[in-house]
Amino acid sequence: MKFYFFHLMPWPHLPDDFDEKYTSSWVTLPNEIYKPELGVGLYNRYLDELEYADQLGFDGICVNEHHQNAYGTMPSPNIMAAALVRRTRNAKIAILGNGLPLRGNPLRVAEEIAMLDVMSNGRIISGFVRGIGAEYFSLNLDPTESRDRFHEAHDLIIRAWTEPGPFAFDGKFYKYKYVNLWPRPIQKPHPPVWLPSMGSLETIQWAAERRYPFCSVFTPVDNIKRMFGQYREHCDRLGYTPHPEQLGFAAGPYVAETDAKAREEIEEHVMWFFKKSFKMPLEFLMPPGYTTEASLRTMMAQGFKHPGEMSFDELEKVGMVMYGSPKTVIDKLKDRYRELGGFGFIIAGTAGNTPHWKTVKSMELLATEVMPVLRKEFPT
Amino acid sequence: MSPTPFTEETLGVRDTPVRVLFGGKGEPLLFLHGAGAAGVWLPVHERLAEHFRVIAPLCPGFGGTPRPEWLDRTTDLTFHHADLLGALGLAQARVLGVSIGGWMAADLAATYPDRVSRLVLVGASGLSIPEAPIPDIFALPMEAVLPLLFEDLSTALALLPGSMDQDFVEAQLRERATMAHLAWNPHFHDPKLRRRLARVTAPTLLLWGEKDRFTPVAHGKAYERLIPGARLEVIPGCGHVPPVERTDEFCAAVVPFLKG
Repeated sequence: MKFYFFHLMPWPHLPDDFDEKYTSSWVTLPNEIYKPELGVGLYNRYLDELEYADQLGFDGICVNEHHQNAYGTMPSPNIMAAALVRRTRNAKIAILGNGLPLRGNPLRVAEEIAMLDVMSNGRIISGFVRGIGAEYFSLNLDPTESRDRFHEAHDLIIRAWTEPGPFAFDGKFYKYKYVNLWPRPIQKPHPPVWLPSMGSLETIQWAAERRYPFCSVFTPVDNIKRMFGQYREHCDRLGYTPHPEQLGFAAGPYVAETDAKAREEIEEHVMWFFKKSFKMPLEFLMPPGYTTEASLRTMMAQGFKHPGEMSFDELEKVGMVMYGSPKTVIDKLKDRYRELGGFGFIIAGTAGNTPHWKTVKSMELLATEVMPVLRKEFPT
Repeated sequence: MSPTPFTEETLGVRDTPVRVLFGGKGEPLLFLHGAGAAGVWLPVHERLAEHFRVIAPLCPGFGGTPRPEWLDRTTDLTFHHADLLGALGLAQARVLGVSIGGWMAADLAATYPDRVSRLVLVGASGLSIPEAPIPDIFALPMEAVLPLLFEDLSTALALLPGSMDQDFVEAQLRERATMAHLAWNPHFHDPKLRRRLARVTAPTLLLWGEKDRFTPVAHGKAYERLIPGARLEVIPGCGHVPPVERTDEFCAAVVPFLKG
């Protein structure tokens, strides 16, 4: 089993009257709330934590892309990856991911990932995402084109990485007379592509067809179980057995000395994360045409619940929160492993406004007491 | 008075099937609906059908119909509507458009001046007026959108079915996606339209509700400046959709104008 450490780089300094005064921490939250003077220390702290994960022996460190919000202050994940490339040695740098439809010119993604891949001598994992619904408001992009643009940009990038240039590309959205990537990536055939996703059936099958690792984020375990099942079934249909590392579980465990201490230390930050930093009206989350009609029907039938409406106990019960002593977390991860039919990697991280000392303590306990046990039990 | 009967027919317009409601006799009047009113034969249609042969097509992608692959811009609908007139054997028609249908009607009249004999735009979008921006309805829940559209909310009920079943909800979501595809960016306007409006030759009546909070009267005034000879009439105390909210006053203004 492999271990990745994910950072969202949230803005933890929300005003005291946030709950009453603001309906969203995305799109419309006034940017005067962001204080660059505090951002200096914060960015450096967050990068330190990611670098420390490399030193602790995590297999990879992860960054991602979100726009105009307090949830994650990384509009360009490639800039963060560049900062990490020169300050880390062993860990993979997983960019989870670049929002392909959010780029006017997706060839820029192919170029930047290729640069990072060469600079890091092949340590880059290239996640591709669509960006969440709110991003389509923030960047004023037509959400109904999101899926088609994603697929076309993906095809362009893969071809740019793998085919000799120059060649012409004539898509519906993107047209080039000369695709001729300088530099080319060092990993062959190209940097691994991952698909972090909310997990529509179309996306799951699309990933399985390309053997792209799939991991679902902020999803109840029952749903992950269904998604893993759909992925495996589709692999079956395609006539292959997926490698364990094609499925990942974003467990996000918080580890402390005891179960009670872990809960006491992390509960407020988990709740801050779901209730404040993920706060947004349904309209921002699901703009028209962003979600396929089939997925909407499924959601309407199942009843959609924003995680911010759940209590800590409910979140834990559905498996969206994990905490405990090293032993408890080992047991819980083993349970999940059995329940989900196995997975090749887990993603840990730091929730919302968790302070530095708690983040570091949990990382250390995870690295020294949890990782060795599970690596031995589930070798890769 | 008994309701004016209407008939319904599906026409092939090039490769696209189009449901069209017909009612009344006389000179043809092409009625281009706004969002939320596709395929509904409203009292205003009945009233107009007393004077004209009302032709009310469902715009592709609206009213729960699938959005055709060719539909990206309002301009695509201009060619579609010209083709529809052709399929009906009409060289020319009176054209009336409401809200986003008004934008379509304006673009049609500017692109094919010869095909439009008289033009009525009602609360039409299509222009960007920075002093009176069109609100971002895609960011708002339905309960916040309706008060932007209707001064008298009770009249909006005419557009709603008896029960909000799954089919209705899905049709609404599909229509919302079509609207987003046409009007997300640029937001409910075409920067090219402003200059092209000088090409309109049809006598033009602009009808606006005084309390239109979606396309405020400033939009009507802009159309009045840009379309040669156009005349703006404002209905006091009325919202964005005068044909639904004030059917009598609406018809009293529109019918004599369209009769010319």
